[in-house]
Amino acid sequence: MEKLLTKRKLVVRIGFALILLILVMLACSMIGTEAVSPKSVIASVGEGQVNADYEIFVRVRLPRIILAVIVGAALACSGVVFQGLLRNPLADPYILGISSGAGLGVIVAMLLGLAAPIWGQSPVTVFAFVGAIGTVMLVWFIGRLTGRRHVAGLLLAGVVVNAFFSALIMFLTSVGRSDQVFATIFWLMGNMREESVLVLWTSGGVVSAGIVGLFFLGSKLNAISFGERDAKTMGVKTGQVQFAAFSIAALITGVAVSLSGLVGFVGLIVPHAVRLVFGPDHRQLIPLSAIYAGIFMVAADTLARIIVAPAQLPVGVVTALVGGPFFLFLLVKYSRKVGW
Amino acid sequence: MATIEVKGLSFSYGKMDVLGDMSFGISEGKFVAIAGPNGAGKSTLLNLLAGLMRTDRGAINIDGAQIGSYATDELAKKVALVGQEFVPAFGFTVMEAVMMARTPYFGAMGFETEIDRKIVHEALELTETAEFADRELAHLSGGERQRVFIARALAQDTPILLLDEPTSFLDLRHQVGIYDLLKRMQIERNKTIVSISHDLNLASQYCDEVLLLGNACQYHTGSAGEVFTADNIEKIFGVKGFSGKIGIESFFIPLGGMAKDTGKTSEG
Repeated sequence: MEKLLTKRKLVVRIGFALILLILVMLACSMIGTEAVSPKSVIASVGEGQVNADYEIFVRVRLPRIILAVIVGAALACSGVVFQGLLRNPLADPYILGISSGAGLGVIVAMLLGLAAPIWGQSPVTVFAFVGAIGTVMLVWFIGRLTGRRHVAGLLLAGVVVNAFFSALIMFLTSVGRSDQVFATIFWLMGNMREESVLVLWTSGGVVSAGIVGLFFLGSKLNAISFGERDAKTMGVKTGQVQFAAFSIAALITGVAVSLSGLVGFVGLIVPHAVRLVFGPDHRQLIPLSAIYAGIFMVAADTLARIIVAPAQLPVGVVTALVGGPFFLFLLVKYSRKVGW
Repeated sequence: MATIEVKGLSFSYGKMDVLGDMSFGISEGKFVAIAGPNGAGKSTLLNLLAGLMRTDRGAINIDGAQIGSYATDELAKKVALVGQEFVPAFGFTVMEAVMMARTPYFGAMGFETEIDRKIVHEALELTETAEFADRELAHLSGGERQRVFIARALAQDTPILLLDEPTSFLDLRHQVGIYDLLKRMQIERNKTIVSISHDLNLASQYCDEVLLLGNACQYHTGSAGEVFTADNIEKIFGVKGFSGKIGIESFFIPLGGMAKDTGKTSEG
């Protein structure tokens, strides 16, 4: 009985994770090539005049850290959703071709040499987003054509589209100029930038709304984990729930990918790590994965900034290098709870 | 009026007809067994009754309304199904799995209330699964898992209970235990129960009526005594055997062609 998730337990766990997130964000905002002291940032606010520490904190560190949280949360939540809906532990946010679609968009933008902003955004961001969402729609459509065994059809369609677009990317890289190719590859590795406040607000808003929406689907996703048939007999409108969850997951992944490139691993390991520690209940898995992925991404990006300072590593390299061993540790420590 | 009414029901997979022009009614509070050889369409019929598939021709009415006219969550408050397959899912515990039966009753946030907890506890006690409520489904034996899914169906708290071979993985004690439990649910809660069974003897001991499906779309309905005759069974299953009575219970014992006793007469 005590093992069941209650609202109270959930609130406490989310609260604890949020406090941890804020602490990590504050700590990481102080670390970097320029050490920032919290005292002088606060002093700057008090005096009403801007000093260097305040400038770095507000204009450089904070936006980047907030972006890391948004990207991490989005990737982890859609990882949870894809693993649950496809009932496949290997599923990650990119499984339905989002990665190759976005990559294709980016390399096309690079090769066309687009530089003028589109809707105030860099063309790379816009092309990545359009490529990501377009691919998911294509995969969904092909999956529908395969008929009744929808989930299996969707997975196969995703794999095939992914492979095809990856081939296109390779073809385009082999005909592109080396600077264009290098920029694309750097993007593919996943990278954080300092984004404008407007971008942060918009993407943060979309991703938070998506996560809240997914949270409300949580109990239905639990039932769907037992297969569509069982879920249906338990009163879940499986078609609607699947469509809603897929759409939201694809949208927030598209947002994350267009802002940060292909940050690997977060969407795969954070959901598993949270599941190992707290159990498989989606009502808990979705909010906790979002917050812990935020923490993980902020820490990873901070490492990416300082390891080879003053140069910077792509954050995707760090997430993979740090995430792998960390995940193995959890897997061994909590292996009793693993059971597919 | 019958709780479940089937009129002129036909169903085929592609060109293969499985059910042809079936009509029968199941009254409220009856315990009905479905028997028949593999491929006769028993599970298909159960899936149709659970609203998981659409009928080709004919109608199924649940409580006087067309099955298709129910919203998914409304139907889930009328009909619960214990299926045959187990889809392994992300380490959910027994308790969590049984609680999922309450999904159609959850509020918008998707959380259970005290009442849901009480009902789930009762279902766990009834099926003797409470002792391993905190264990993961994947770590249970086939029989234990079967009882968990029966607990889940009970927790769904529906007037109609459909079961697809609920005793297939169970030892003798639990086979009888499950049928005793179902009978109790029928008597105490007036549940209407439809259960597929390969065990003709268990079915005839416990059920009020039986539905015997054959491979060529033929079917027989009636009491176990009327339907499970040696003659019908030989026609439908192609198996000879001995049928007789012990007290008021009738039994059928199959005798295969290579059985040790086939030298003797098989006609009792």
